[in-house]
Amino acid sequence: MRAPQTFEEVDVFFPDTLDAALIAQADPNRRGRVLAGGTDLMVQWEAGVVPLPPRVISIKHLPVLRQIEENPGMLIIGAGVTHKQLRASPLVRQYLPSLAEAAATIGGEQIQVMGTIGGSVANASPAGDLAPSLMVAEGDVVLASVRGERRVPVTACWTGYRQIDCAPDELIVRFELTKMPAGYCEGWRKLGPRQAQAISKIMGSFRGQLTDGIITDFKVAVGSVAPTCIRLYELEQWLVGKPCDAATCNEAETRARAGVHPIDDIRSTAAYRQWVTGRMIRSFLQTLEVK
Amino acid sequence: MTAPGRDPVPAPAAKSAQFSSTRRQFLRGLGLVGAASVCPPLTTAATANPANAKPSHPDLEEYGRDPQPVILQINGQTHTVSVAPRDTLLDVLRHQLNLTGTKSICEHGACGGCSVLWDGRAVPTCLCLAREAAGHEILTVEGIADDPRFAPLIEAFCAHDAAQCGFCIPGFVVRAAELFLQGERMSTEEVQIALSGNLCRCGTHAKIVTAVTAALSAGAIA
Ligand code: FES
Ligand code: FES
Repeated sequence: MRAPQTFEEVDVFFPDTLDAALIAQADPNRRGRVLAGGTDLMVQWEAGVVPLPPRVISIKHLPVLRQIEENPGMLIIGAGVTHKQLRASPLVRQYLPSLAEAAATIGGEQIQVMGTIGGSVANASPAGDLAPSLMVAEGDVVLASVRGERRVPVTACWTGYRQIDCAPDELIVRFELTKMPAGYCEGWRKLGPRQAQAISKIMGSFRGQLTDGIITDFKVAVGSVAPTCIRLYELEQWLVGKPCDAATCNEAETRARAGVHPIDDIRSTAAYRQWVTGRMIRSFLQTLEVK
Repeated sequence: MTAPGRDPVPAPAAKSAQFSSTRRQFLRGLGLVGAASVCPPLTTAATANPANAKPSHPDLEEYGRDPQPVILQINGQTHTVSVAPRDTLLDVLRHQLNLTGTKSICEHGACGGCSVLWDGRAVPTCLCLAREAAGHEILTVEGIADDPRFAPLIEAFCAHDAAQCGFCIPGFVVRAAELFLQGERMSTEEVQIALSGNLCRCGTHAKIVTAVTAALSAGAIA
């Protein structure tokens, strides 16, 4: 089938229910490119940087995807929840504070009303601002298809540059994320050319616990330094059991720099990103010490 | 998205004698006036009965690319327009309804110039499919201009000489109207952050921020 040349040749489907969407996605001849908030896809199509899909299935209006709920250990966030909802939700602010902070730095206010968590994850950009906070929270991405539901750990959902572990007939329906336990703290840092409407040169989140001056748990994820957002597992292991002091900060900064292998691209250089990764770890450890 | 409702909006303040420009003149300067009033939209149904305005979600059951009639609630009026599935709300407002106050600038969601209030929230219409707008209350800058509740806001834009070329101003007015509806007093810094999704190429942000901050604090007093 010839690829559409203009938007006028694209067929669009607005399913009334999630089931209708899943049934369409199950059929290779009816399956469409999934459109949620449109903040990535509409721009890519408009700019002509990706080929137009023959069919588009628009799911943003489905209310079933827009809930935020909790159970004792987890926060359950629908895939259609917008960045604005994330930053405003008391549940997210309490239990996934770095996710709320990250959502508040995406685009400008108008973009935050449009863009969704599911769309951001599915877009799988290494510069996706929600990724680091999801990676340190841990939990599952829940995918649905007519075959049933499938869970993928959020730390393993991105399989390569702009690749996500999601079969062609599956839709991301929700995220089940581990709440930040009492006595822990989280932090978020983003570096871009300006404060708003900027794509990150580098960004990261941490979740950690300090007990009597000793780091008892530490998770850190950094984006825009690799084909996907990455956890710095080796550094995390090294940090646990160390005192949160100047010597640890210095050593952690060096180790963090050595642990990432970013590239030069339109937004920044490898050298700068490597250097900032180190500074970011230092800043996270200082946050942990203060909080 | 929930509509913030209309109750918290302060009553329009008495027109200040300080400046002579009227809201209409202000808008004429921006090239906003006229569209809605001079060229009637293709189809305008009666708006009196809210039951008629029943928001129907588009019920196309399958894929399609052909235009279908869609009922849109825009500036308190019900319009039936023929919308192709891929038409953006921006296209429909400008090309079908002649509401050209909503500007097409970057078409990338980056500048905020195409903002309208969607159930009370500013959204970039260049990224919205028009079909998705069915069942939602859309308020464009024309609707804001014609609504006396927003007169103090628009007067503040004039009083503080906020426009240079004026091209970005409709987007700023819409976003400011959202803040105005929320009825909160905000500091200059909070306003700067709140307006961060709007860009002005002439660089008159400082005056825009001053105008909006002033309008919000006056609004909060009223
Ligand atoms: S034209 Fe829509 S945000 Fe710029
Ligand atoms: S006044 Fe010219 S773009 Fe803002």
